[in-house]
Amino acid sequence: MKRLCSILLASSSGLLLGSLAFAAVRPHYGGTLRIAIKDAPQNLDPAILAEGNSGNIARLIFETLVQLDERGHPQPSLATSWQSEAGGQRWRITLRSGVIFSDGTALDATAAVASLRSANPGWKVMRNGDAVVIETDSPHPDLPAELALLHNSIVRRGGQLSGTGPFTIAQWLAGKHAIFAANDHYWAGRPYLDSVEIDFGKSDRDQAMLLDLGKTDAAEIAPESIHRARAEGRNVLSSEAHELIALVFDRDPQSEDELHARNALAFSIDAAALNNVVLQGGGEPAGALLPNWISGYGFAFAPDAKPEHVREERGQIKHSPSWTLGYDATDPIARVIAERILLNARDAGVTLQLTSAASDLRLVRLNLASSDPHVALNELAQSLRLPAPKFADGSVTELYAAEKSLLQTHRVVPLIHVRSAVALRPIVREWRTLPNGPWQLSNIWLGAEKP
Amino acid sequence: MPSPSTVYNSRNPEMPAPSSRVHWCCCILLLLAQAAHASDWKISAKQLADKIAAITGPGVIAIEVNNRSSLSAAESDVIRRALIASLGDSGVRILDPNQAAGTVHVTLSESLQNYVWVAEIQQGIADPAVVIVSARRPDSRSISQSSPLTLHATALVSQSDPILDVALLEGSPRRLLALSSSQIAVYEFKDGRWIAGQSLAIGSAAPLPRDLRGRIVLRKDHLFDAYLPGLACRSANTAPLALTCAHSDDPWPLQWLDAGGVSAFFAPTRNFFTGALVPGIGRQKSAPAFYSAAMVPRENYNLWILAGVDGQLHLMDGINHQTLGKVRWGSDIASVRAACRAGSQVLATSASDDGQDSVQAFEFPDREPVAVSQKLDLNGPVAALWTAPDGANATVVIRNSETGIYEASLLNLTCVQ
Repeated sequence: MKRLCSILLASSSGLLLGSLAFAAVRPHYGGTLRIAIKDAPQNLDPAILAEGNSGNIARLIFETLVQLDERGHPQPSLATSWQSEAGGQRWRITLRSGVIFSDGTALDATAAVASLRSANPGWKVMRNGDAVVIETDSPHPDLPAELALLHNSIVRRGGQLSGTGPFTIAQWLAGKHAIFAANDHYWAGRPYLDSVEIDFGKSDRDQAMLLDLGKTDAAEIAPESIHRARAEGRNVLSSEAHELIALVFDRDPQSEDELHARNALAFSIDAAALNNVVLQGGGEPAGALLPNWISGYGFAFAPDAKPEHVREERGQIKHSPSWTLGYDATDPIARVIAERILLNARDAGVTLQLTSAASDLRLVRLNLASSDPHVALNELAQSLRLPAPKFADGSVTELYAAEKSLLQTHRVVPLIHVRSAVALRPIVREWRTLPNGPWQLSNIWLGAEKP
Repeated sequence: MPSPSTVYNSRNPEMPAPSSRVHWCCCILLLLAQAAHASDWKISAKQLADKIAAITGPGVIAIEVNNRSSLSAAESDVIRRALIASLGDSGVRILDPNQAAGTVHVTLSESLQNYVWVAEIQQGIADPAVVIVSARRPDSRSISQSSPLTLHATALVSQSDPILDVALLEGSPRRLLALSSSQIAVYEFKDGRWIAGQSLAIGSAAPLPRDLRGRIVLRKDHLFDAYLPGLACRSANTAPLALTCAHSDDPWPLQWLDAGGVSAFFAPTRNFFTGALVPGIGRQKSAPAFYSAAMVPRENYNLWILAGVDGQLHLMDGINHQTLGKVRWGSDIASVRAACRAGSQVLATSASDDGQDSVQAFEFPDREPVAVSQKLDLNGPVAALWTAPDGANATVVIRNSETGIYEASLLNLTCVQ
């Protein structure tokens, strides 16, 4: 019996060890973490930054009332508690005391209300004593998770933007270089690092070179390079497959003919080949907007190319359409994917012409804004300009129905979910990447160089 | 109030060994948890069967169950059987595909938060109908142990707030103090378990540092003192129990008994001792900055081992300062005394960053450590390791890697027979 228990206990411990890394050596204070990224933001205003690595940098400065943990559960941040009233249409949020903005003023309900009103014109946001009250037109069961979105960061907008985060801006050269200094008065304790230096606008090749020369401590790894980087012995941390690559039509289908042509195109695209060949296995073929790891049912939207369905749909097209396919010309992978789609489209009887200008359909890359599935689907729908899904009970069944309904608009064809990754020098400790991509940098510390 | 001279947590010899008790408790808890999950699965299987039957109606179907989740093959089989039994209760019979009016593909999947079971029901040439049920994914826990001097862990209390230190107070009832950043929680031992009772608030005007550390020291003239970086708290010496805290840079005592009263200054905004000692180790008034210290009494002097911020072990004997560059331990060490051995042992955390934390006992016959126990694997990283007031045991706090809960245990060494 004792042996049986040990086996059971050991097997359960094996599950937990895979997800968390830690060291038995206590964190060291001091040092500068150097990061190189491709984005070249002109400012770090969370209201206009998309999720992605510019957003990750903004999170050094700005914080949200709520943050999501590694399982996507809301956890306190600038808010210590929240409760819903009126069937989820009214939320009362209690703020943390003792929080100071980088301009020296204290966080209070007035500042939080002003920030949230600016970010969410559709919400009624009020102060009620020391608390913040949010009212919405319809029940909003996922409001705490929504408060964790980057654009809901609490920002004081005076002459300069001020945040409450673990770092403050020490130097800012828009689009080129930035230095962030540790916030000695940070409510959750001063970060271990003295500063973080960011080099913006660095290509993949430049980043790899800086890493090899020891001139940066962290560099992005493109999805198609993750496999090779690991084979080269780099220390690579990757997220779950979270960035959606999809085709998006700019309008609803205007005729039965167009509907069949869209279906034929969707069935003709070999997403598995795109992932294996173009992305070198850096993602997963997608039939759904949400990846399976967040919804649990993504596999049910089969992404496989189906020749018989292509033939069936093609047979019902009376006039073969000719469409323009737009893509981001600065993204070399997007061009290769677009070219392969162009070839697949011929099988569907659809003529495509590539363009980097306005187009009938676009190849898009969208980060998953949240690891809460309902919030993530809502944000995707908004980004794709699809009807906003409505949720009442937060169930998986409801989520599935909402996603199926979005796909049935025939406005979007999910292709692949890709991973994001960073390569780190061995001295970097406690770098955490959440499943949907965000970095958690406030606990990072630098260990000693190994001899 | 307990007598200040009492030592705490001595084991009743008529009771089973604590480690064995903990082990059995964990086994039983785990089996109960498994049984509870099995029960939940039957409920979810019934829900899924009802949804399937609502679409197929009574009749004959073929069913295929695929597991793409972290559930084991055995668990998957339990679910499959429960599902088929529930379908039978709804008048749905299962046969081969060539004899069935429809086919149901059930996939046991999962998301970050839930088990998600999807049934795709194919009847005729229409698109399959899809029905879904979900159930919360559970947590689990683990513990393990080792020999030849055997290191045992006796579970004390756990809580979601980080525990910085614990101290046991003998008396009736037995009580336990758990220090965290904002309070000292007082637990009472009743009906075989620790019950949370009074809590004494700790007020701090300034933000406390990351990797927060703290210490409770039992006193003779009042109940206890508590130390946090830049803050010192003192309990009242009369009932009711109360606490007064104030900004303070006073040094923290390094050792409980017979330590020559050595204290060390703790950096108020960091996670280490600065190295300034009061009154010092013999003639040595300062040391390199260190995370923790352990004392090994010798015949004519005390040998101090310091786990340095520089990652090295420093040995100080009052005159000499020696660095053990080749020994790699973690940042937390504490001295203990095994009843069957002469001298003291030093418990040290592991320096490995391979995802497993552990504690091991060492002795210093001369100036090099010699392992005297095997590693005691822990469920998560060590947040605190301090020598207990009796000098024989140590208290360890870990953050459970799976649940995130802080768990305090008492560590003691026993001899292998």
